[in-house]
Amino acid sequence: MTQKRALLLVGSPRGIDRSTSGRLGSHLLAGLEERGFTVEKVHVHTAARSAEGIEDALAAIARADIVLFFAPLYVDSFAAPVIALLETIAGRRAGAGRVRLFALVQCGFPEGAQNETALAILERFAAEADWEWLGGLAFGGGVNQTPFPRQALDLVAEAISAGEPLPDQAFALVGRNPIPAWLYRIAGYWMWRREAKRFGASRRLRARPYAD
Amino acid sequence: MNAVLLDGWRDEEKAGLLPSLLGALAQAGAQTEVFTLREIAIAPCLGCFGCWIKTPGECVIDDDARRVARAVAESDVLVLFTPVTFGGYSSLLKGALDRMIPNLSPFFQRYRGETHHARRYAHPPSLAGLGSLPRADREAERIFKTLVERNALNLQSPRVAATVVSCEGRGEVRAQVGALVEAVTR
Repeated sequence: MTQKRALLLVGSPRGIDRSTSGRLGSHLLAGLEERGFTVEKVHVHTAARSAEGIEDALAAIARADIVLFFAPLYVDSFAAPVIALLETIAGRRAGAGRVRLFALVQCGFPEGAQNETALAILERFAAEADWEWLGGLAFGGGVNQTPFPRQALDLVAEAISAGEPLPDQAFALVGRNPIPAWLYRIAGYWMWRREAKRFGASRRLRARPYAD
Repeated sequence: MNAVLLDGWRDEEKAGLLPSLLGALAQAGAQTEVFTLREIAIAPCLGCFGCWIKTPGECVIDDDARRVARAVAESDVLVLFTPVTFGGYSSLLKGALDRMIPNLSPFFQRYRGETHHARRYAHPPSLAGLGSLPRADREAERIFKTLVERNALNLQSPRVAATVVSCEGRGEVRAQVGALVEAVTR
């Protein structure tokens, strides 16, 4: 039996090891590896720095049976290097008629529903690139502090491996945010102040440099 | 009235709607500054949050995006002009928008029932999106309009409008562009 190949595409500028997207994607990839998949990872922003990097990413896609796309929400969509790669993939028909696509999108707002437009864009990409859209999970800020995303991805690994649809339970797991939105907003205030203090900027967070 | 127009087309010839768009803006009394994104240097956002916590309100990368961000902060209307790409914006336009987050505050607030970043400037611009498709495509159009509306929520724009035109509907394009501009400038 031929081994199936899974490719993780990480669309966070922070890289694979330093980003929530990269860490969660690696978790799913490990789950598939345990189930006999051959696995590979590509960091989109690194690949996008050179023509060679893009060609390497396209070659990895050409080898893959399934692409796992993990990225943060960026202005209601994905970061520009991700969109550029999607444009190239669709233009070059890379993986057309063969690749299956699963996605996970997460944002810094507590409402996971804010990711829906980005998921719609990705589903649309899959249609135009002639990839099979398996579906995507989405969650808001705070959920990544819980075990729910990893539990959901364990279920996803099982479903992908068995060739079954994504289980409803995976969506339910990431759909519950244990932190109420009002508390998240208050916590955000103190978190940004603390972060800015490291750079001596905590008193200038509301600066308006272009208001002269 | 000041308008900023971000031209997200990679190919000048395909950006053929630009004269109609500029004409409609001029007729509405707007003075429009056009940023032809294919001709200026805008590096990808680093995702470092430096524009919020190191140099609040200004990106740590010193390139043309700072000029665009200043113009947007000073504008009354922001116009996004782009080929519709998987229902969204071209990567060229998206690269510029990714670099506009210094114009928002890092702090969260509840706005229209959701959590969004607070505005940094008192008067955010109204937002217009003009997308173009080679042929009519209802699903891509729906996603595009939703995306522009979502962006307007994040910007807290007082007015928002989005239109998708296609080559098939060439005869109606001028009226569509006129209605778009009117919706954000009246």
